[in-house]
Amino acid sequence: MFDAIVIGSGMSGGIAAKELCERGLKTLVIERGRKLEHGASYTDWMQPWELPNAGMIPQEELARDYPIQSKCYAVTSATQQFWVKDSEHPYTTPEDKPFAWIRGHHLGGRSIMWGRQSYRLSEMDFEANAKDGHGTDWPIRYADLASWYDHVEKFIGVAGSKEGLPQLPDGEFLPPFGLNDGELVLKQAVEAQFPGRKVIPGRVANLSQAQPQHEALGRTSCQNRSFCSQGCSYGAAHSSLSSSLPAAEQTGNLTIVTDAIVHSIVHDPATGKATGVRVIDAGTKEGRTYEAKVIFCCASTIGTAQILLNSKSDAFPSGLANSSDMVGRNLMDHLFALSVAGMLPNGPNTYYHGRRPTGLYIPRFRNVTEPGEFLRGYGFQGGAMRMGWRSAALAMPGIGAALKERVRKLGPWMIYVTGFGEMLPNPENRVTLNANKTDKWGIPTPHVACTIGENERKMAKQMIIDGKAMVEAAGGMVMSVNDEPGEPGLGIHEMGTARMGKDPRNSVLNGFNQAHDVPNLFITDGSAMASGGCQNPSLTYMALSARAAHHAVAFLQEGKI
Amino acid sequence: MADPLNLTRRSLIERMMLIIGATATGGFSMSTLAKAATGTRHLDEAKFTVLGAVADTIVPKTDSVGALDADVPARFDALLKDWASAETRGEIVAAIAEIDALAREKQGKSFAVLDAATRHDILAPHDATSLKVLPSSGKGGMASFTGFPNYTNPGYGRIKELVVTLYYLSEPALTQELIYEHAPGEWQPSIPVTPETRPAGGIGF
Repeated sequence: MFDAIVIGSGMSGGIAAKELCERGLKTLVIERGRKLEHGASYTDWMQPWELPNAGMIPQEELARDYPIQSKCYAVTSATQQFWVKDSEHPYTTPEDKPFAWIRGHHLGGRSIMWGRQSYRLSEMDFEANAKDGHGTDWPIRYADLASWYDHVEKFIGVAGSKEGLPQLPDGEFLPPFGLNDGELVLKQAVEAQFPGRKVIPGRVANLSQAQPQHEALGRTSCQNRSFCSQGCSYGAAHSSLSSSLPAAEQTGNLTIVTDAIVHSIVHDPATGKATGVRVIDAGTKEGRTYEAKVIFCCASTIGTAQILLNSKSDAFPSGLANSSDMVGRNLMDHLFALSVAGMLPNGPNTYYHGRRPTGLYIPRFRNVTEPGEFLRGYGFQGGAMRMGWRSAALAMPGIGAALKERVRKLGPWMIYVTGFGEMLPNPENRVTLNANKTDKWGIPTPHVACTIGENERKMAKQMIIDGKAMVEAAGGMVMSVNDEPGEPGLGIHEMGTARMGKDPRNSVLNGFNQAHDVPNLFITDGSAMASGGCQNPSLTYMALSARAAHHAVAFLQEGKI
Repeated sequence: MADPLNLTRRSLIERMMLIIGATATGGFSMSTLAKAATGTRHLDEAKFTVLGAVADTIVPKTDSVGALDADVPARFDALLKDWASAETRGEIVAAIAEIDALAREKQGKSFAVLDAATRHDILAPHDATSLKVLPSSGKGGMASFTGFPNYTNPGYGRIKELVVTLYYLSEPALTQELIYEHAPGEWQPSIPVTPETRPAGGIGF
């Protein structure tokens, strides 16, 4: 028997395992995918001319095996190994409600390919549900999580600038990756013409300047290559493989099993506790059970809902920890793909050196410093760059020496901004299990029904108006607008299917991420989120994971669980 | 919806000026092409030779390396085998035949045997006509910059895009035509532009 089991080795599971191991618990991490090795499993060594098929996955293979994953911007022949084959991992959606479930099954999960944007939720985010009545009130406030944000930021390393904004609290930052001159044009124009709006360097979990605690794990400073999603052999990009799992291993308390697909969590009605985890070997399809005193479920929002809903018993006929009927409900993502891009005809005559791993960020201003005809708000990510060889060669006809000559010249500055908007929690956006469809391991497949509502549509409309106004304020000529939200899931910020709350009747987890119904079960991935804010959420998952691990160990020591 | 690939009136004017001022200075060497073509090919000898001439016309050798120096024809052929779907492959093969037919119509000879200037004179107007972009039914935003455009002649559009991509991602082009550092090290957000400044190459745009 282990002291603790952590289901999932991604962003949340890695931090949970580290924190549990460092507190002395013999901890088993169960990963459904294959083992990856930090460095050896990466493709960041490939020169551009070495990329298989010039970076492209064969078209017929892409259509056959990756029809969903191929919608993600980061899917290339160099990252192909990190994405699931949709053909082997089916799920269903209603025909009129597409949902793109973007995922990778391997040690480290999506922490290998994530965008690394790292922003804190603020007090107004934790108060939002209580104030406007959507969702259920968070059982915690910013002050409960602030020190855990500090803790995680110091460990993973987040580069960013301190701005003093109430809607986007500052953190324990490494030096920022500075804005380039095109972005400074946007910053000066936006901040002058729209008081209250700010254009800041994107906060990102890359080591702009490695600190001793990072170097102790073999991590070094970012080399500004922008191959992050191919795996970072320098360890400059935070991932479970570069950071949290090595830290856990150093304690001597960590055991990892891979290729073990969790079927369900075992519950003992006599004690009311979870006693173990049933897994199916991915290769042999044989089943086995691991036992532990405390269980952390960090299988990702849809994965966690699938496990809980499949963990049926007489005590929990509709799924483990589901007395509230909230497991699987309130699925959220962020509004995504709403973009504006424009040229700067009179941009600065300068360039930049390096490929920094982030861009710019425009924190939320609607319903903060400016009103909105909707609830909640949105932030923008984006950047400015001088257009390069691809656009110079292909954006207009022309061949021969003239083509080569124009490619040799620096292109014009292009500015782009993409909005990330908050989706309201809606219990009808939910994950259920298909009664008659199973995967090749015999586990019922998820059915995901999720769509945006009227509030999100109003938000999307204003997002485009604001994006265009800011690009134009900088002197930009708007060239491209996408005013249609991407299908839910493409933000890759799934949240909410086992939400935290004060009331066990309408929430799954309490203020310690502890299941109301099962005291030794903790859930700290995106499913715990009672609301989504508009900020990229992984930093919050990690802070919740560290905080929950701290409390779980205390509860164990006190004999409470 | 604005599409960046149609750009602006200003860029259209620039495009016209570029075409007017363009001169093909490179020569097409059968021996170079033959050297590049090793292993089992998808295209037959005749089509492969035309492809080589097309690649050499789109990115000729000038004061710097060209498509043939970068083994573009052989790598293009490999993509036909290893990457392209049957539909894309069919479009591309038809587009190669179309260019050759154009040459035979205008000059009475295969495109592959024409001199560089004549090849350029045939391909440049074909390029301009083929690459008109129809209104896109796809996503805008970043997808507009990265997705395949809705060209009037998609087969030729594929040829152009693949030739250009294979060339500018090649080691000769990245080390001699553009600049490329695999690990740049420091991020410098502002550096001066000098007459020697070249755009950085790589997988992005």
